[in-house]
Amino acid sequence: MKSNRWGYYWKTLSSSKLGLFGLSILCLFLIIALFAPLLAPFNPMERVGQPFGEPSSTFLLGTNDVGQDILSELIYGSRISLMIGVIAALISIVLGIIVGIVAGYYGGKVDNFLMRVVDLVLVVPFLPLMILLAAFIGPSFWNIILVISLISWASPARVIRSQVLNLKTKGYVEAAKSIGTKASTIMLKHIMPGVIPIALSQFVMAASSAILIEASLSFLGLGDPFVKSWGTILYYAQARGAFLTEAWLWWVLPPGLLITTLVIGFAFTGYSLEEIMNPRLRKER
Amino acid sequence: MLKFYVGKFLQYFLVIVLMLTLNFLLPRLMPGNPLVFLAGEDVGFMTSEEKNEILDKHGLNDSIPQQYISYIKNIVTGDFGYSYQQKRSIADLLKERMPWTLLLAGLGLVISTIIGVMFGALSAWRRGSSTDANLLTMFMFLSAMPSFWIGMILVSIFSAQLGLFPVFGAESGWSNLTGMDRFFDILRHLVLPLTTLVLISVTNTFMIMRYSMLNVLGEDYIMMAKAKGVRDRVIKYKHAMRNALLPVATVFMLSLGFMLGGATVIETVFAYPGVGRLMFESVVSRDYPLIQATFLIITFSVVIANLLADILYPFIDPKVGGQREK
Repeated sequence: MKSNRWGYYWKTLSSSKLGLFGLSILCLFLIIALFAPLLAPFNPMERVGQPFGEPSSTFLLGTNDVGQDILSELIYGSRISLMIGVIAALISIVLGIIVGIVAGYYGGKVDNFLMRVVDLVLVVPFLPLMILLAAFIGPSFWNIILVISLISWASPARVIRSQVLNLKTKGYVEAAKSIGTKASTIMLKHIMPGVIPIALSQFVMAASSAILIEASLSFLGLGDPFVKSWGTILYYAQARGAFLTEAWLWWVLPPGLLITTLVIGFAFTGYSLEEIMNPRLRKER
Repeated sequence: MLKFYVGKFLQYFLVIVLMLTLNFLLPRLMPGNPLVFLAGEDVGFMTSEEKNEILDKHGLNDSIPQQYISYIKNIVTGDFGYSYQQKRSIADLLKERMPWTLLLAGLGLVISTIIGVMFGALSAWRRGSSTDANLLTMFMFLSAMPSFWIGMILVSIFSAQLGLFPVFGAESGWSNLTGMDRFFDILRHLVLPLTTLVLISVTNTFMIMRYSMLNVLGEDYIMMAKAKGVRDRVIKYKHAMRNALLPVATVFMLSLGFMLGGATVIETVFAYPGVGRLMFESVVSRDYPLIQATFLIITFSVVIANLLADILYPFIDPKVGGQREK
């Protein structure tokens, strides 16, 4: 039964052109990130050429202000952007699942309180809040993840809650309740499996927005100074005025295209997952 | 109805109080000397007497509740403190920068709503056609691009390469332009940041309008109008679009929050002298009181926009007003 369900998801996902396209992009980036040391011609942290070098046969995308190879920076950067996006999205979704299930299952005052908190988080402008927090707790890899996930759990929590409200009325949950099953067991064993599919599509969406947020924070100089993401590369390109010279073609254009492609990969996968979860949507497209 | 407003008002009040409290606690809870965060002094070079003097001046030797009360009092009276980096009162800085951000975000909101509505309606009207598919794909790609990167690319192409628009700033400060000349100068500086802001925010309106228009087009009265032989143009603009606009109107004000957040990054790219750029400058110079003040002023604006949206909503949608009356 269980394997059948996943088989069904896979079939629908792979029959949607959008989903297949998104998934292939994600796989491509995963391969680049995993095999970065083999693919990159140079160590991105090492000065290997003249500063501000133009593209040549040695440095396909030229060199940056300190003579590091931009292509290698980009290849290694996929690791940081992917990792921050995925980990931050994972934490937000786990938080979202916990809050969503507890609020939806218990209802009443608990639900009311948790949903008010969700409303509060959603009202505050998220980017300025993240800038504020990042400025105070200091820039580092884990702090960026912390800041992103502290704010991004709210919207998935609300979506998951409404799914739980739906599941709560199902016969098997009522049955488990009537024979006196502990609330924690019902939530874990009976409700959780039902929210996993919708949580999956929420996770993919959260990852795509986390990648954009990470890029923005890094661009504002709030990224980890010891690792180089695509946003960080653009931060230096901006600080050194690369976008005012010919260098925009090889220093500014490629990192942004990579961010866009990766975000599109996640978004397309997410949209087609959502279509699977929500058959009404499928008809309307 | 009244209960609804009281509830909303309480919620926003709570947001403000919580954000003020967060702002109060951040410098006091972070590891390290709060002096660095609050006063921005070179703590390392001071004698303990000097430090004490400054602590006294900022009321940091008082008890925490006392500090909290005087903090709230200051904010309420419009005293945001003093920026040691910029050597100016923060309230003055905000007053100077806020109009530029409001100009950018306000115009951005109006233009992106108009464009989003037009394309959203077109997409829904031609649902399933290649126009629809192309528009959808285009807007999805737009929303996947980092805002600052769109800005950088626009500057590279239109300012650096083609020389059509100025590279940075809100006006040419040295030229002493007046009247219409100044107006056009400001407009020329506004084009690229505004375009960037519109490009990153238009997808939202487009999606909402398209979805809402699809729903309206499925209604019986549209069918009826078609059966009566009403011309397509009339159905599209008079019957369908007017009714489909409702959800767009409700997110109009709410988008202001997104606009102000987006403006933070975009103003940085164009060195546009708004509050967002001020926030960036304060992050770079680690000017903590200024970071906090810019954050608070953006949050206040967003909360006010939300409140306005809630107050206006029943007037826009008579259905909701009626339902709540019952």
